[in-house]
Amino acid sequence: MGKLDGKVACITGGTRSIGRAMAEAFIAEGASVVVNGRDEAKGLTCLEEMNAGDRAAFYGGDASKQATVEGLIDFTIAKYGKLDICCLNSGGVLNTAPVFAMTDEEWTLEIDWNLNHVFWGMRKALQHMMERQSGRIIVTSSVEGKLGKPGIPGYATTKHAVNGLVKAAAAEVGTLGITVNSILPGIIETDIVRETGPDSAIAMGVAGYDELIDMFCQESAIKRPNKVEEVAAVAVMLASDAARNITGNMFPVDGGTMPY
Amino acid sequence: MGLLDGRVACVTGGTRGIGLACAKAFLDEGASVVINGRDAQKAEGSIAELNVGDRVHFIAGDVKKREDCEAIVHGTVAHFGKIDILVPNAGGGSDFAPVAQMTDAAMEDAMLWNFWHTFWTMRTALNYMIPQGWGRIMAMSSVEGKMGKPAISSYVASKHAINGLCKSAAKEVGTMGITVNALCPGAIETDEMRTAGPPAAEAMGLTYEGLLEVFAQQSAIKRLNECEDVALVAVLLASDAGAGITGSMISIDGGTSPY
Repeated sequence: MGKLDGKVACITGGTRSIGRAMAEAFIAEGASVVVNGRDEAKGLTCLEEMNAGDRAAFYGGDASKQATVEGLIDFTIAKYGKLDICCLNSGGVLNTAPVFAMTDEEWTLEIDWNLNHVFWGMRKALQHMMERQSGRIIVTSSVEGKLGKPGIPGYATTKHAVNGLVKAAAAEVGTLGITVNSILPGIIETDIVRETGPDSAIAMGVAGYDELIDMFCQESAIKRPNKVEEVAAVAVMLASDAARNITGNMFPVDGGTMPY
Repeated sequence: MGLLDGRVACVTGGTRGIGLACAKAFLDEGASVVINGRDAQKAEGSIAELNVGDRVHFIAGDVKKREDCEAIVHGTVAHFGKIDILVPNAGGGSDFAPVAQMTDAAMEDAMLWNFWHTFWTMRTALNYMIPQGWGRIMAMSSVEGKMGKPAISSYVASKHAINGLCKSAAKEVGTMGITVNALCPGAIETDEMRTAGPPAAEAMGLTYEGLLEVFAQQSAIKRLNECEDVALVAVLLASDAGAGITGSMISIDGGTSPY
């Protein structure tokens, strides 16, 4: 018997890395999962690799667009009849520049991807969950949701912002059988980090990608990056019925990096 | 197959409340568990309830005494051959009063019970965990380890101290396969709460029921937490998947603590 038998989840940015690990962990615990991603081909590969038959589906689209996020939730409910677990996971460092050099356009893109996507998804999911008096919302924040590194102000700002959103929403629906939490992973060598890390390194004044990863590791107690499976294990716990009394939390998975 | 198959855990204050819930959850996941308490008679009922035969062992001891704390950890190793998981869980407070009226004895009692007991058991356990290159310590802090209520400064200060101890220790052993975290539960109506709650409430100018209501209203869920909530997180942290979580103060408080 799985911890999530019969549950239905959707995950933005679910075809790779953290989102993918969540999807696999949820499926292993008995849930059905809709994964979202921008790339149709990657989505189909993901479904093939997860090999979960009818218990997995793909919804294509860019999570920084409102229509995609809301469409994912509509699609999930249409396909599986309900939505129990909404993981707003997609996100990353889109633009690396210090504040003084950041353009409005770059700033807006970052806000749409990391913050507005979470708001759009949370609002839509809550409307469904409040009617059912049951639900779990899990937002992927970051250590940068409590800290702040130079050169990635958009990322740090939006990750701080989603923590505030989580706390406010948790307080609103705390008696309605719905929990709202964020998970704050430390550095993980995801596909997104591999893609954007070299630029981030330059923006932070670090020699290169390897040095960037090492800088994060050295700030932790474990002196290594975190792993997607570590985040997925926390997500499963928060998604389970047993976690009904854990809400409004910023759950750290950072190897001892954050001071609070 | 359990998440903790073959692991050995030691839980102080393990015969009742949160400690018993952690012990039960560890046993359910395949671990062997030492439960500590002051009273062997009280433990009998708990052990019967757990009903797992040789996989649970009771060690009597008063955690306010260093020699007892050390004996509990040494005794775990003597009985089961090792110690993988330590939950310094026992704790409480007495003679609550505002700081202006708090006695040395009351402050010392809370510090011994909460802080020193955690330090003594942690130090002893780390000396086993470091050579074996694997360990999990989950110290029982509290929502009051992050916040503060009037008239219970002894409890609040000692729980804050536990958080600091965990953060330092986590950095010392972070590359050795050992994690050290603090669990910060919201108010739970345990036996200890039923004992210490009424005098604490009185010191705050509240009834016991009024105090519980204050805790509930400060949360998002508007109710108290439950022992099983804490055990759920303890199992996660104790598992292999918990390897990347250390130096954290994990809130299990229904959305009470602001950070």
